[in-house]
Amino acid sequence: MATAVPPPCRSEILSLFRSILRSARDFPDYNIREYTKRRTIESFRDNKTLSDPSTIATVFSDGNSQLQVAKRQAVVYSLFAPNIKSIMDIKH
Amino acid sequence: MASALRSAILGHVRVPVVTTGSKLLTPLWINRSTSVRSMSSHDDHLEKTQVIDRILDIVKSFPKVDPSQVTPEVHFQKDLGLDSLDNVEIVMAIEEEFKLEIPDKEADKIDSCALAIEYVYNHPLAS
Repeated sequence: MATAVPPPCRSEILSLFRSILRSARDFPDYNIREYTKRRTIESFRDNKTLSDPSTIATVFSDGNSQLQVAKRQAVVYSLFAPNIKSIMDIKH
Repeated sequence: MASALRSAILGHVRVPVVTTGSKLLTPLWINRSTSVRSMSSHDDHLEKTQVIDRILDIVKSFPKVDPSQVTPEVHFQKDLGLDSLDNVEIVMAIEEEFKLEIPDKEADKIDSCALAIEYVYNHPLAS
């Protein structure tokens, strides 16, 4: 069996959280942006109380792959962004 | 010619400074026109009161925060009972409000309203 991957330390987790939230800002679509933010906040909060190192490492690598997905999709969505912005984006 | 026009305009635009001290006590080398910079181009910096108000609004509109407890010196984790994830969220909201990019190292240090206000006020690109 391969040696266990060391669980991420606190600063790595916070940095992953921040990176996903930053990548959410690049989406031109309001709904997807808000969903990404909401979902990351919820999932990081749900997994806050985990204590088993292997579970933490698994969840952390899941988060990393989600970050890569978000980055790629932000690029793809920007290629075909609609001209008309959502009403929620227009400040009153 | 342009400089003469400029000094003529400056002479008219000058706002009178009201000094309460006696005229004998003010040294003669104090030039009153230094208190008014009519044609300065570096004055688009934010006012401190504006920065404080906007940051307090951001913190108060955070769902987990009790708005009555928010003051400019409040500490996010110690006084408001937030955790480090909430801290990151608040710093992201501040970044969006002032259109800044705060690097991770600096963002980790912003722990309280006072630090946030200081950072934003001292940032040259804040708007």
